[in-house]
Amino acid sequence: MNFLEALLSTPLLQMSFLAIIGTSIASGTLGCYVVVKRIVSISGSIAHSVLSGLGCALFLQRTYGLDWLLPIYGALVAAIISALIIGFVHLYYKQREDTVIAMVWSIGMATGVIFASMTPGFNVELMNFLLGNVLWVSGTDLIILLVLDLIILLSIFIFHKKFLAICFDEKQAKLQGLPVARLYIFLLTLVALSIVLLIHTVGIILVLSMLALPPSIAEKFAYRLSTMMVASVVLNILFSLGGMAISYRLNWPVGATIALFSGVIYLLSIRFKKPMSSLTP
Amino acid sequence: MINVKQLDFAFDGSSILKDVSIHIEKGECIALFGPNGGGKTTLLNLIMGFYKPVRGSIDVKGSIGYVPQNFPLDPLFPISVLEVVALANRENSRRALEQMGLSSLKMAPFAALSGGQRQRVLLARALACDPDILLLDEPTANVDVQAKELIYGCLSALKGKTTVVMVTHDLQEAEKLADRLYCIENQVREIPREKLCHHFSQGLYHEEVS
Repeated sequence: MNFLEALLSTPLLQMSFLAIIGTSIASGTLGCYVVVKRIVSISGSIAHSVLSGLGCALFLQRTYGLDWLLPIYGALVAAIISALIIGFVHLYYKQREDTVIAMVWSIGMATGVIFASMTPGFNVELMNFLLGNVLWVSGTDLIILLVLDLIILLSIFIFHKKFLAICFDEKQAKLQGLPVARLYIFLLTLVALSIVLLIHTVGIILVLSMLALPPSIAEKFAYRLSTMMVASVVLNILFSLGGMAISYRLNWPVGATIALFSGVIYLLSIRFKKPMSSLTP
Repeated sequence: MINVKQLDFAFDGSSILKDVSIHIEKGECIALFGPNGGGKTTLLNLIMGFYKPVRGSIDVKGSIGYVPQNFPLDPLFPISVLEVVALANRENSRRALEQMGLSSLKMAPFAALSGGQRQRVLLARALACDPDILLLDEPTANVDVQAKELIYGCLSALKGKTTVVMVTHDLQEAEKLADRLYCIENQVREIPREKLCHHFSQGLYHEEVS
C-alpha cells in the first residue's frame, strides 16, 4: 500500500493529517512574524524550556495519580512563563538578552530531565514530546490543537497590522502610541502557544524546522507579509506531508524526517536571491 | 510647543548633554548642527521620550513625526512603500506619497528603493500623520539634488504650520529655512546667522567655541 492509499484508509493517519494541517496553518502564519522580527533564537529557547513543564506534569500525573493533568498543560504553562521572562528581558534588560535566552533554554531542559529521572515508569511519552510523533495524536490532543489554532488565528486576524508595525519599526510604533511592550509580549505568548502545537508534529528539538524554515523560504519570494504567510502555510503543509510520506516509505521517525526534508529544501533555497532591481520603475 | 529646561543626559556614566535649555514655539523651524557625537540625535530621542534626562525637564505639546537618519532595514522584509506609509495613517498615505513624488513607486517593495527614495518614504510616513512637531535627523544625507529640493520645498511649505526640528550638516539650506540655528557639542548654543557662514561652512565647530 502506498502512502496516499494508507492516508485515505487509515484513521490513525487521517488524525495525523488533521493535526498537520492545524499546526501548519498556525506555525506558517506566526512563523512569519518570528522570521521578520528576528526572534528565531528566542523561539528556540521557549521551545526547549517547554520540557520542564512536560516533565513536571508527567511527574505529578504518575506520582500523585493526577490523571487529568495532561503533559500538554504543563507544556503550555512552561512555554508562557518562558515567553514572559524572555519578553521582559528583551524590553528592559537588553544588554544581556542573549545570555538570558541561553539560561532559559538550558534551565528548562535541565528541569525537564530531572523531573523525568524522578518519574516512575519508562518515559516513552517524554521521548515522543522530545522528538515528535504525529502518529501518536489522540482525539483529545486534536481538540486541544484546534482550540489553540483558533486562538492563534483569531489573534493574528485582529492584531496583524499592529504586529506588522512593531516588526517593521518599533520606534515609529511607539511614536504612534501603540503599546509596543504589551504587543511584543503578546506576540511571544502566541509563539509559545504555536510551539506547544508543534510539539506533537516534530517535537521540542525540531520545532524550529516548522516555525522558521518555511517562512524563511517564503520570504525569498514574497514582497508582502500577507503573501509570505500564505506561501509559508502551503510550504509547511507540503513539507509535513512530504516528510510523512518519506518516513512511511523508509520507516524513519516522522518528526525527524519532516525536519530533515524542510532543512534540505531550505539549504537548496539559500542560493536564490530575491529579485529587487526590476521592481522599481 | 517644546520646552527643554536645564537638561543633563549621560549614557553609561559619560555625559552626552549638559545644561541644555531650548524653547521652541509652535510653527518655528529650528536647525541643529555640530560635530559627530555632539548629542544632536540624542536630543531628538529625548524630545520623543525614548530617553529620560538625568536632570532637568522636557515639556512637549503635540503629536510627533520622526524621520530617522539610519533606518535599520532588513533587506528581505516583505513590505510595500504604500504599506510603510499606511501603517502610520491609511487615509493620508496616498496624499503623502504624492507630496514626496513617490506615487509611481507605491507598490514597489520598500527594500528595493535607493537610500534617497527610502528617506522620502520615511518623510511621507511622518507627514501622513499630520504631526504638530516634525523631527528630522539629517533628512538630506543620502539624497540626490532633485530629491533634496523636493524635501526642502516640502519643509518650506510646512513653515508656520508645523514645528520643525532638523538635524543637518547642510548649513546653506539650513540658513535659508531655519528661524534659529543651534550648535550642539555636549552643550547647546544659539548661533547668530552672520557668524554661521564664517565659522561653520567647513565644519569648524571648535573655532566658534573658543
